[in-house]
Amino acid sequence: MNKDQDLPLRNDIAARFVPKIIILMVYLGTLCSTFTFFMIHSTLLWEEKLTTHLSMEIPFFSDASSKDLQTRVTDLLQKTPGINKVEVVPKAEMQTLFHSLLGEGTNVDTFSLPAIVDVSLNKGDAFDVDNLETQLKAISPLIQLIDHRLWQSQVSNLLFTSTSLALLLTFLILCSTLVTTFFATRTSLLIHRKIVEVLSLIGATPSYIAKQFQRNTFKQGLFASSIGAFLAFLTFLGIYFLLENVGQTFIVKTSFFFEVLAIFILVPFITSFFMMLSARRAVMKALCS
Amino acid sequence: MSEVIGELLGVGHQYDEGPEIFKGVSFCIEKGSFRFITGLSGSGKSSLLKILYLGLKPKWGSVKLFGKDTFQIKPTLLPLLRQKIGVVFQEFNLLDHLTVIDNVSLPLRVRGIDIKQSYKHAGELLEWVGLGDCLKAYPPSLSGGQKQRAAIARAVITRPQLLLADEPTGNVDDEMATKLLCLFEELNKTGTAVLITTHNQRILKKFPYPQLALKEGTVFQLPIEKKAS
Ligand SMILES: Nc1ncnc2c1ncn2[C@@H]1O[C@H](COP(=O)(O)OP(=O)(O)O)[C@@H](O)[C@H]1O
Ligand SMILES: [Mg+2]
Repeated sequence: MNKDQDLPLRNDIAARFVPKIIILMVYLGTLCSTFTFFMIHSTLLWEEKLTTHLSMEIPFFSDASSKDLQTRVTDLLQKTPGINKVEVVPKAEMQTLFHSLLGEGTNVDTFSLPAIVDVSLNKGDAFDVDNLETQLKAISPLIQLIDHRLWQSQVSNLLFTSTSLALLLTFLILCSTLVTTFFATRTSLLIHRKIVEVLSLIGATPSYIAKQFQRNTFKQGLFASSIGAFLAFLTFLGIYFLLENVGQTFIVKTSFFFEVLAIFILVPFITSFFMMLSARRAVMKALCS
Repeated sequence: MSEVIGELLGVGHQYDEGPEIFKGVSFCIEKGSFRFITGLSGSGKSSLLKILYLGLKPKWGSVKLFGKDTFQIKPTLLPLLRQKIGVVFQEFNLLDHLTVIDNVSLPLRVRGIDIKQSYKHAGELLEWVGLGDCLKAYPPSLSGGQKQRAAIARAVITRPQLLLADEPTGNVDDEMATKLLCLFEELNKTGTAVLITTHNQRILKKFPYPQLALKEGTVFQLPIEKKAS
């Protein structure tokens, strides 16, 4: 028997079109929030990398002095405090890099490729780059020190802007969902105004009537947004495998996938909860004024 | 003098562009009283009850219920006033999508009483008004008389302090009408003030209670009818 449905909300017009809109909104919103999350994740990862890495470019000379120069630089670096790891980028890796830039056919051996030394700094320590640069220039003025931190702020700004935009978009989608819910509830109230009036006349408080709408909205919202989130999940997997296939892997940690999974599971609950509040607001506003 | 639970003072009303249906109606409803409202069809009996159950706000005058001026109190308190009133609507106002027992137990559920207890109560009451076989039926499948009895059961189930019944015997035979009036009397004995609109002369004769007659927008107190033998 009817336990919590004093209003026939399950099959009114609003019940027919609202779920479809919610599915679409949640689909877009979930993808957008996943993207936001991906941006935040990548930003943190890159920032960490950029703030703890320096590179050195040692020019190539055809005679033996090249090798000597390289040894002197690595010696200096190993003695410098605050440096965690020094690594000379292997020749093979350099070749792949150039092949990918200039095409497979390029004969890299004809270039005088500089040697690249990668340096990881200790996390958190203040490191005196200027001092290191002076010492390097003393060895050879041709040695280039590339401090990634110089353009880190620009990359950060770019990432911050896109992340904020994605976040804003997610927020706007959530807002539209709630506005849709609000007006759908008002429509529903109008459709059932006779019943609502009878309920009021026999002593139902606005809160009691609102609860009827809330429960219905929550159930409907949970159902629709689960479908939306599921479709978004499939899309996410699709994009992921597509990128894998064309060789563009995500630059993310594995924990990212668990966190994304959590988003897909949480979104339906969060959405339907806010939808419920929106429905309540619509009813209370209509009945208390 | 007994406690006044309802008071109309100089109430006047007019529907949109229609004529003035009330011109300064004033009367009191005492606690535990029993009265009929009589008048020709269209004289405004239903509208008067509507004003009393707060379904219609008159254009002039004041309406006091349970010591509160209904025009002045906060809207959030209106449901609390309505919860003290039981109403039998002329057109029943049963909810067609709910079964008879759901309809009748609704006022209890609305007041927060749990569903099992509400059903028990509603079941007993429906049995008493002769609808024991229709608990799970839906209102559209009931006859006029059955709907009326269901509507009455819904109005009295909460043992309200004020019962307003709009032509509650309009769709039942005299035997049932008498039985229902006895139900109202019984409720009245427990302290409920009862106000019934009717134009059934046999009922008025059989139950000699004071009458308020509505005529041309005003009310008159009529002398008590002699009890029929
Ligand atoms: N909702 C309404 N809108 C306009 N006029 C109404 C409305 N309800 C009742 N009336 C008019 O008010 C008058 C009194 O009606 P009513 O209170 O139903 O009388 P009664 O119950 O005594 O038959 C009638 O003339 C009726 O046409
Ligand atoms: Mg009437």
